[in-house]
Amino acid sequence: MIINGVTIDETFAEAFPMKATRLIITAHNAKWAMISAQAFTGFATSVIACGCEAGIERELDGNETPDGRPGVAVLIFAMGGKGLAKQVETRSGQCVLTSPTSALFSGLDGEKDMPLGQNLRYFGDGFQISKMIDGKRYWRIPVMDGEFLTQEKTGVTAAVGGGNFLVLAESQGQALAACEAAIEEMRKIPNVIMPFPGGVVRSGSKVGSKYKALNASTNDAFCPTLKGQTKSELPPECESVMEIVIDGLTKEDIDEAMKVGIQAVCGLGAAQGIRRISAGNYGGKLGPFHFHLQEIMA
Amino acid sequence: MSNLTFTLKATPKQRIDCGPLTPDNLADKPLAEIAAIELVVGKSTVRVDALFELAEGDSNTIVFANSDSKLDFIGRNMTQGNILVEGDVGAYLGIFMEGGELAVSGNTGIYTGCEMKGGQIKVNGNGGDFVGGARPGRRNGMTGGTVIVTGSTGARTGDHMRRGQILIEGNAGDYCGSRMISGTIAVLGDCGAHLGYAMKRGTILLTQMPSRGITANFNNCGSHTLAFLPLMFASFKKLESEFAKVETFSRVQRYAGDLAGIGMGEILVKI
Repeated sequence: MIINGVTIDETFAEAFPMKATRLIITAHNAKWAMISAQAFTGFATSVIACGCEAGIERELDGNETPDGRPGVAVLIFAMGGKGLAKQVETRSGQCVLTSPTSALFSGLDGEKDMPLGQNLRYFGDGFQISKMIDGKRYWRIPVMDGEFLTQEKTGVTAAVGGGNFLVLAESQGQALAACEAAIEEMRKIPNVIMPFPGGVVRSGSKVGSKYKALNASTNDAFCPTLKGQTKSELPPECESVMEIVIDGLTKEDIDEAMKVGIQAVCGLGAAQGIRRISAGNYGGKLGPFHFHLQEIMA
Repeated sequence: MSNLTFTLKATPKQRIDCGPLTPDNLADKPLAEIAAIELVVGKSTVRVDALFELAEGDSNTIVFANSDSKLDFIGRNMTQGNILVEGDVGAYLGIFMEGGELAVSGNTGIYTGCEMKGGQIKVNGNGGDFVGGARPGRRNGMTGGTVIVTGSTGARTGDHMRRGQILIEGNAGDYCGSRMISGTIAVLGDCGAHLGYAMKRGTILLTQMPSRGITANFNNCGSHTLAFLPLMFASFKKLESEFAKVETFSRVQRYAGDLAGIGMGEILVKI
């Protein structure tokens, strides 16, 4: 398959089941809601070492948030419910509770609940106040700038993590420009995040390493400087590869995000130095979710 | 289909326990069986059809017509459905209620919503003493649900109240929120003496400073913008009540008390 001179490889991205929740962070204004959300989603690019993958889904205006203030919706994914609960608790406690004027709400009614402010309330040292409003429990925790308001629980849902595609370009600048164009379009899709810095990862990994202590190492088949040293997947004219990783609440959400992302990349086309779109997989034996590039773009 | 209707034949001389006449108890019962139910009246029992004219209808919505202040325990233990009362009712309206809706067009006696757990009671008149309270000797009053009183309430509104909300469009009597454990009482009018007496936790929300002021057992914590208030007012919007029309506010003067006890309750007054 070739779109605007860009070859779409006959391959697939391989993704895994995860657990996820959506949180809504509000604040006195959009600036501080974003600051709090950025802190919450910091160091959350990959479950390999971060314990979770998190990102900003979108900004919300006052009529979309529970307390009528500007807010930000964030999605956070982990490999299991326990790990997710731990990450939500520590990040909420250190990054949202601490953030001036913030409030924290559940943004998802999942199959199950997990604690949100349920344990954060103890920071109130006995001065915390519970309020049941419309069947949901909230905690009012006294803090130095007033009160921190948080919902007691948030929903947990089954989700999918690790959808991806690779952009093979003639130069580093062209790969980056293509990925930026893709991310701009993909951020318009609900229920997905691209957890790496700016949505783009330049150090894609393969499973395993020559070093026993490491579970993952550089994806040498797509490293342009190794074209003459390893079994390379790259054509001679390709000088840079970047990857976009997508986590979504459902497989369909990731399908849609990959489609608009690849469309944006192909929109630049061969004329802008984009040669191929490929994807990362492990032979189809590890992850139950397969995203076939040509099927998505058909 | 019309509603199952009980029309009181005459003003009763003794108090009548109407607790068995709920949508839960009457579901799928033929009219003859309902007519034969024995209600406790004073120290004896009397058949339903000796006290009420019955009109067959959907038992999920029960109407008490020509009601009287001697009809006690209406809606006892109800978990679903509707009860509409045309006139006044007696004591213990909606006691132990867990769900459904109960509406009264007149005034209620003592202990309206006593120890209720859920559902909604709307009194389109005045509530008696101990609205949402606990029975004598019991430690928990209402633990959930909503009581709306369009008129005023008597003394000790929310006595021992643990959860839920009592919304009073008129005035609250003396000792409003007494021994309150948690939950919310909101009052659009004035409050009587000893507001929040022995209150442990919970919130009394007022749109105006009570004419008698705040008692010395509550300390002024200053003026604040509280983020939970817009959420609470948003939840009021779906109610058929004056509270749905209250313009949302979050600026309040906060008083903490009762400091004669643990002092974790609060009176919030709109500023």
